[in-house]
Parts: sequence; structure tokens; C-alpha cells
Amino acid sequence: MIGYILRRLLAMPLLLLGVATAAFFLSQVTKADPLSAVVGERQMNNPEIVAAAKARWGLDRSVPERYVIYVVNLAQGDFGTSFRTRRPVAEDIAARLPATLELVLFAMLFGVTSGVALGVAAAHWRDSWIDHAARLFALIGSSMPVFWTGLILLYVLSVALGWLPGPGRMDARAAFEPGPTGFHTVDAVLAGDWRRLGMALSHLVLPAFVLGWAVTGIISRLVRGSMLDVLEQDYVRTARAKGAGERRVLFGHALRNAMIPTLTIIGHSFAYLITGAVLTETIFAWPGIGSYAVDSARTLDHPAIIGVTLVGAAAFLLSNLATDIAYAVFNPRIEYGGGRG
Amino acid sequence: MPTLPTARLAPLAAFAALALAAPPPAAAQSGDTLVVARDMDVNSLDPARAFCDTCQIFLTATYEKLVDLAPDNRTIVPMLAESWEVNADQTEFTFTLNGDAAFADGSPVEASDVKWSLERLANLKGNPSFLMDGVASIEAPDAGTVVIRTGSPNSELLGILAAPYASVVNREVAEANGAVGGEGADAEDQAETWFLSNSAGSGPYVLDAYAPDDEMRLVRNDAYWGEGAPIATVVMRQVKDSVTQAQMLESGAADVAMQVDADTAANLADDDEVVVESIPSFNFVYVAIGAGAGGLPVEMTRDVREAIALAIDYEGAIDFIVAGEGRPQAAPIPNGFPGTAGLEPTERDVERSRELLAAAGHADGFTLEAVYPSVNVYGVDFNLMMQKIQQDLSDVGVELELQPVTFAVWRERIADPGIPMTAVYYAPDYYGSGQYVSFFGTQPGSPWHTRSHAGTSPDAENPALADMLQAALAAPAEEADALFAEIAREMMADRVILPILSPNLVLAYRETVEGVRYSACCNLPLAEISFE
Repeated sequence: MIGYILRRLLAMPLLLLGVATAAFFLSQVTKADPLSAVVGERQMNNPEIVAAAKARWGLDRSVPERYVIYVVNLAQGDFGTSFRTRRPVAEDIAARLPATLELVLFAMLFGVTSGVALGVAAAHWRDSWIDHAARLFALIGSSMPVFWTGLILLYVLSVALGWLPGPGRMDARAAFEPGPTGFHTVDAVLAGDWRRLGMALSHLVLPAFVLGWAVTGIISRLVRGSMLDVLEQDYVRTARAKGAGERRVLFGHALRNAMIPTLTIIGHSFAYLITGAVLTETIFAWPGIGSYAVDSARTLDHPAIIGVTLVGAAAFLLSNLATDIAYAVFNPRIEYGGGRG
Repeated sequence: MPTLPTARLAPLAAFAALALAAPPPAAAQSGDTLVVARDMDVNSLDPARAFCDTCQIFLTATYEKLVDLAPDNRTIVPMLAESWEVNADQTEFTFTLNGDAAFADGSPVEASDVKWSLERLANLKGNPSFLMDGVASIEAPDAGTVVIRTGSPNSELLGILAAPYASVVNREVAEANGAVGGEGADAEDQAETWFLSNSAGSGPYVLDAYAPDDEMRLVRNDAYWGEGAPIATVVMRQVKDSVTQAQMLESGAADVAMQVDADTAANLADDDEVVVESIPSFNFVYVAIGAGAGGLPVEMTRDVREAIALAIDYEGAIDFIVAGEGRPQAAPIPNGFPGTAGLEPTERDVERSRELLAAAGHADGFTLEAVYPSVNVYGVDFNLMMQKIQQDLSDVGVELELQPVTFAVWRERIADPGIPMTAVYYAPDYYGSGQYVSFFGTQPGSPWHTRSHAGTSPDAENPALADMLQAALAAPAEEADALFAEIAREMMADRVILPILSPNLVLAYRETVEGVRYSACCNLPLAEISFE
């Protein structure tokens, strides 16, 4: 198992280089001129300004030359400088990734726990009001547009009732020194600052709920279906016949097997949300990687686009690896390595 | 049926517990921090490179210029320069600096700082460098005197120097952090990153922190040499969505929002704690005709362009696109700028339009490609606007094929082969009408001469505008208005740029906030804002 994980980790840089190469050349074949991110509309017909901008951003060099420079810099951890923010892309990503990870982790925490709980409950009390209510909740979560849900909940819970704060990771009027991790919750705990922790949590509630609700919908339906299949299996009947308690049957036997297909969805959902939470980030003014990706794409900010692509690719590679490891944990019959994995 | 064990819902309960553990939302605004909810379009915080609406707000708060634009949006008033003299030819401008003026680090603002800053503005060859076009020399004969000479008369130089991009930078501090002002600055200057985290001006605020796409934090310059800012801290919070901006105002999470669209603003009218002002702006949106663009279905003569202009329902556009919150604009010079008083906006005349088209041999109409950037600017949704114009033109038989594209694609298309019809927007860079003639006029060498491909059009090129502009810039102020009015009429007659409307600016703020105003040069002067 450890050998298998190491092999996967060692292959990752090569895969990422392939992704970077594809992203680099794809960005070159688009007809649109990336100078639009650098030279404003007013000056685009000024040859002197355009020439100076090309020279400054290296756009006067040939594509192969730019590719070699990019790869050499990439090997040293330099993703280039964003045309749009004028900062190193690595710094931009480092500033945004904790915000997105914190949001996605809380959203997944809510989505997975509630999804599994609702799925198990719906299967256990099949065709009861609990089943119907759980399925309705799941249906709404996975079908309602995130921007609509977000705006409505913001209006009701923040503006009308005043129970929860408005958009943003923290109150704008609160000034906190940046912490070592960039995760406000973790930094607050490390600093022992409970006011900060409370503020960070209160700001997380709505966006995490909105983002996680869609995950709840998918997972609860999947768990319900898998559980219903598993609960019909012979070994479940055998377990019950042998006198196993209902809790042990449900969680020790049925859920353990029903979770295997669910793990794939969890892994993919996590990786997808890393770069795909843009609507939630927009509505909740959350300075994350999703909105950075969209703004970069809109302005043809090539270095940033490639940087975000690499983050997305790394997220998928790592989540796939984590999913594979989780398979082995949930199903001991699965073994990796030794020529069998 | 099995019973429902509540313990199985523990994960949900845990999440709810987290929510309940959180404190209530922050109270409404406190007296020491102003929160501005804004979709920040920052492209740099270096005064000589920045070029955006948010940049204007930031630079006005943290830097100062030789002169400023008064709240009447037309009078030039002292700032770092306490007085100035202009020679009769309008080619030599001598400024005497205020001896009290000092940068945030306490060092005095000297003539050498002014000279260096303005030369750097030109030499960096950035987006705002064009402001220094025509400046022949800048001299600093002593620490308190600056002499600027222009190659040709320019009565608008004072207006240009009131633009935030002409800010004076603390040379010593900037140079210590990689800034270069002289020739070759475009290749050698390394200070832009430093400017993203620091300011080096003499304004009432200093930059405390900036996180792109998140927030900008300004703190009061306690060493400010003039009357200090009433509010200690200003936070500009990145909020893209107009509705979210409005909700933040309602909940008290923000004090000011400037990008609430007209429809959303109408919903704020019932909130007693929020003030909504809809005030005329100097921004406008326009349709441009590629008179010589490649692939035109018909020869785009002046009469055909006139017919298109007359087919558009301008009043209806204001109602349809910005819910009545806008004004018609006659020429490609904003209402209120020199030369615009008394100009009559174009009115729809479908019959006359049809007559012109018939006389040009197009009684059955024709189909025209309309390629435009798919944006929403100043509350104007370009897709909505072009749908309205498509509907109007269909009444005279001109069918528009709408093609919304990204700005990057639009740039490529308009350069070659050109675009038969497009739509863009404009906001002033400084107070003065010359910028509009230079930009929108179809004299050879102007941006819109190139973009409309006027050189290959039968009658869109208008070389006379160049001389008319020079005459207007050489004239004393009392005569310049009439000359600019003449230019405005000439540009209207050319019918290459068709202003559709000037959208009102929605200024929304909490009732406890005072001093919020819109400036033609500087957008939102933060240092004038206070709490009751």
C-alpha cells in the first residue's frame, strides 16, 4: 500500500508537467490577444504603449522560447506574474487557496455528514415521511441554483433577521493580523482568539450550507440507493439472523459497503469544488480560487489560468489517491501494490 | 417501522451547534471604519501605471496632485500648488508649491518630486502615460517651483494635472523600492509590486493592506499637512454582485455602495436607513459604426449612418436599459463638459430614416453584424442595450446580427477586418473635452479613425477635427466652449460615434454617512466622508 502511494506521488510531477504543457499551448492557440489584460482599451491603438507592454511581459518572444522559460521557472516554483493582479501567481494562489479550502472543507463536512445521515435514514425508514422529507431536501439541494439560494438565505438570515453576518470571510470592520495558515478558523485556534473563531465560523455557515447542500443532495440519494441494495443482501440477513443489533447492521455491515460507490463522488465533489465554487464565492464575496479562475479567464491572464489549472489538476490527482486509499479502508479485500493494485 | 433515533442525526446537530456557537453579526457601522462595497477593477496601485475607476478612488485618497477639481466639477483649485501662472500662449505653466505640503513620512513635497513623478508617468509607457502627451519639458528651478512647457498650446493641461494619475510620489521612497523615473523607465522600473503593498504620497490616507479580489484597507495619514480625514479607516471590500452590495448596505455590513443597479436601487427605497441618490454621471455608452470595416453589406455613407442614428429610440433606451435612470447625450462629449451646453440630443425619426435609406438605394434594408463586448458597465447591460437597438433598427429594415464576445476577442475583430457596428463605454480621465476629440474624432491617427477604418470609408474621415482641436486648446477659456461646441456638432454630423445614453450614477449609503459625492476626475473622494 505504501509503495503504491509513493509511486502515485512520484508520478504526480510528470502528470502536472503534462497538464501545464497542454494548458500553455492551448492558451497560445486562442485567437484573442492576452495584451487586453495589460493594455487598456484606450491605449490599444498606441504602438509605443503596446510595444512596451509586450516587452515587459515577455510577449515579444517566440512561443517555444516562452515555453522553455515557463517550464524552467515552474520547476523553481515560479508560476509567473499575473497580468491582472500584477503579483506572482504563486502568491495569488497561496492567498486564495486557504479561503477556498476552508469553505470547501466545511461544505463537504456538512454535505457528507448530512448526506450520509439522510441517505441512511431514508433507506432505513423507506417510504415513510422521513424518507419523503429526506428525498425532498436532497432534491431541492441539488436542483436549486446556488446563486438564488445564496441570495435568498442572505436576505432572510442576514438582512431581515440579522442572525448571521453578511458576505465575506470576516467582518470588514474587524482587523486581524494574518495567521500562519490562512485558514481563519485554524489561525484563530492557534492564537487562542475565540472571538475571531466565532466570527470565522459565523461567516462560514451560510456559504458552507449553500455549497454543501448540493453535495447533500447527491450523496443522500446515492447512499439511499446503495443502502437499499445492500440491506437486501444475504449477509445482512445473516447478520440480523445471528442477532446483530440494528445499529451494527446498519453501520457495521450495510453502510460500510454502501459507502464504496459514494467515496468516488465525495472525492470528485471535493476536487471539483476547489475550482468550481465560483458562484458561491461571488455571492458571498469569498476571495477564493474559483472567482480567481473566472476573472483570470475573462481577462486572458495566461499565467494565472495555467496556475489555476495546475491547482485543479493537483486537487483531482490527490482526491483520486485519497479515494483509492479510502476504498482499501472500507473494503479490506481491495489491495494495492505487489502487482495486483 | 423502526423508530427515529435522534442520535443518528448527530452530524447535522454538530453543524447546527457550530452555527449557534458563532457570535451575532457585527453591529452597524462604528465611527472609525468606513466600509465601501465595490467590485474593484484594480489593475495597479502605482500612480503612473494604474488606470481604473477604483484606482481613481485609491489615488485620490493616498496621493495629491498639483491642482484639484472643485466639487462643482469644473473649477480647478489649488492642491500641492498654492498658485500658478499660465502664459498667454497656454504653453508655459509655472506652479508655486505650498511650503507646508509634506508626504506621509514627514518629508516635504518638493519640485523635484513633481518633476520626477510626471516624467515617470510619461516614461513608464503605461495606460495613463498619454496624459503627458504634448508636454515638452518639466523643470524644477528651485524646491518650490515647477515649470511645465507644452509643445503646443493646451488650455486643458490644468485639468489633466488634476487627474489622479498625475499624482506626486515621494521620489526618495519610491526610488529606494525600485522605481525609475527617467528615460528607459518602462524597462528598468521594478516598483509595481512594492506599490501594491505601500503608498508613497501626501494624501489624507495611506495604504495599510491590499489583497487583490478581497479588500483594500486604508488608514488615516496622521501626519497629513492639511485638514485630516474624519474617518480613521476605510475598507473597500470586493463585492461583485450588485444585489449583494445592496444587502450589505441594508444589513449595515457596508456603509457605501456605488455599483447598485437601478432596479436593485429601487428596492432600497423602502429602507429608511439607506439613502439612494441617482445623480447624472459623466460616463456614457455608445454605438460605433465601422464606416470602412471589411465585409460591410452596403456602402456605409454618411446618409446611411444618419439613417441608423435616426432609427434609434434614445428615450426608450433609457427606460428599457437603465429603468429611466439616465440622460440622453448629444455628442461623444459628456454632458457638462466644455462645448456641450445647448447641444440637442438626436431624436428618433423613423420616417426620415426610411427616406434616407431609400435614397441610398436600401429601401428594403440590409443585415449588419453587431459585435460588441458582453459586459455590464455602469449599470448598463450591453446585451440588453443591443437587443433594444436591434429592435429599433428592424423598424427601418436594418437587421442586426448580435454577436456578444469577450473584450479580448473584440479587440482582435475591430483591428482586422473591423466591425460594422459595435458598442463600448467611456468614463472621463480628467475634466476637459480635448480627450474626447482626440479619442472619438475621425481625424487620421485617432483611435476611432483606426477602429472605424475611416480611412477606407467614402466620407467618415474628418481631418479638419485636428485643426479645430488645436484651435480650441489654444483659445482662452471663455472662447474654448464655443469652439468645442463647434467640434461636437461636427462629430455628431459624422455619425460614427452614436452616444446612446449617459447612465446615472447610483450612490447608495447608510443614512449616518455624510459627504458622499461623485467627482468627474476622482470618482469618490473618501477623505470628505464622515459619520454623523
